[in-house]
Amino acid sequence: MRLKKGIALILTMLLTGSILMAGCSTATKTTVTTAEPTAAATKTDTTSAVTESTKAAASDDSLAKVKSAGVLVLGLDSAFPPMGFLNDKNEIVGFDIDLAKEVTKRMGVTLKLQPIDWSSNILELNSGNIDCIWNGFSISEERKAEVNFTDAYMQNRQVVIVRGDSNINTLADMAGKTLCLQAGSSAADALASNADFKSSLKEVVELSDNVTAFMELEGKTSDAILMDEIVAAYYITQNAKDYKILDKSLADEQYGVGFRLADQTLRDEVNNQLKAMAADGTLAKISDTWFGKDVTVIK
Amino acid sequence: MLSAINYSSMISFLLDGTVKAVELFFLTIVLSLPLGLLVARLRMIKFKAVQLPVKFYLLIMRGTPLILQLMFFMYFPPLVLGFGVDRFMVAVFSFTINYAAYFAEIFRGGIESIPVGQQEAAYVLGLSQFQTFIRITVPQVVKRIIPTVAGESMTLVKDTALASIIGVTELFRNAGSLKATYSSVIPFAVAGLFYLIMNSVVAAFYSRVEKKLNYYKG
Repeated sequence: MRLKKGIALILTMLLTGSILMAGCSTATKTTVTTAEPTAAATKTDTTSAVTESTKAAASDDSLAKVKSAGVLVLGLDSAFPPMGFLNDKNEIVGFDIDLAKEVTKRMGVTLKLQPIDWSSNILELNSGNIDCIWNGFSISEERKAEVNFTDAYMQNRQVVIVRGDSNINTLADMAGKTLCLQAGSSAADALASNADFKSSLKEVVELSDNVTAFMELEGKTSDAILMDEIVAAYYITQNAKDYKILDKSLADEQYGVGFRLADQTLRDEVNNQLKAMAADGTLAKISDTWFGKDVTVIK
Repeated sequence: MLSAINYSSMISFLLDGTVKAVELFFLTIVLSLPLGLLVARLRMIKFKAVQLPVKFYLLIMRGTPLILQLMFFMYFPPLVLGFGVDRFMVAVFSFTINYAAYFAEIFRGGIESIPVGQQEAAYVLGLSQFQTFIRITVPQVVKRIIPTVAGESMTLVKDTALASIIGVTELFRNAGSLKATYSSVIPFAVAGLFYLIMNSVVAAFYSRVEKKLNYYKG
């Protein structure tokens, strides 16, 4: 009896031990993509890491790490046309992808695209699974506290889209109507900061993504969508839809590339590359391919 | 570009996702069934120091959502413990220990339903505890729990969709990406069909196993 209990006890300890060990051993199977997770975790509280760039540079080897690994891992939600999405050959393409490809070419590293769940984007960044978030990532004060942004490279507005045949022409006409938007997006933030407008609505429907929002509009289960003007314009042109975009926007915002707070050298390098691309006209050329005009704002 | 659906490329992308889901399924089943049996045996030991951790494990695994467990094992190690983890391995690990908990209770139910008289008879005949367990008890237990294990397996096939929350490119996530590419729900309808096909195979498999084990009644 004693012996059996002893064996059982040892087995239990072995089991718990092996579960922990299994957790540890998965670490050795990771590829080169991990940066300094512990450093990132402790430094995310110190927003001064952004301003004290010279002090941080001394111990900040983020750029060196990426260069020696030869890979920059870009995290994106691959269901966000036109910034990053799948074409009909199932390759990830998009405006942000073209920009990233050019930047990494100039940096002399390969670009690795890592699809992530958008609501965990900053989590993925801080855990080292990706090196940057580059997917129509809007710059905001809350996000700046957790993410090191490049300069804004694109302007964007949060606008209301309605069906062409509807009688809604201004924000005031939206009183008593149903509005839908993508949960956790900057559209949701924009609505929250327009409290009067929000309270005039009959209902706000939160959906997992913008394509579902368009389906709601099409199916008349919602009267309007609040989303990025860039994405809306692209969708409307591509699908030749008869939708109207209301003139007055709810928020003006800018897109930037997001890095870990501690990764100052990496962020600076990408920023400089984008600036160089703006100077020699590559940025305008890429913008032209996607939008028919230069929508970039980097100087 | 958002365009008319390219069916062949949509199907091939969904098939890639299906392969991932099938890999996840097989690895989980192969690992969690033996683990579940072991945990069931430990759970039945009348020794508090063994029973309490096992009961705690069973409570946590069955009492919290699997989707949360996936997120925990994906982000807790790098952010708090300081090491990176591979997405797919995290999914396999998380599914395995979750399903092992369910299988453990299924096994325990099956084992406890075997009449104690058999153990006494085996003891009298000179069989050891271990021999009794492996050669007398377990074969009967297997026969009894097949329908339940079949149900859990079919649930597992569907649960592979949860791995999308940590970015694993399995069937459900791939269907979601395609929805954006073609602005249509057809990829989801096709994905639903693929899940149905996978589960039909699973159901048919267990049905055959049941028939094979039916060489004696009870």
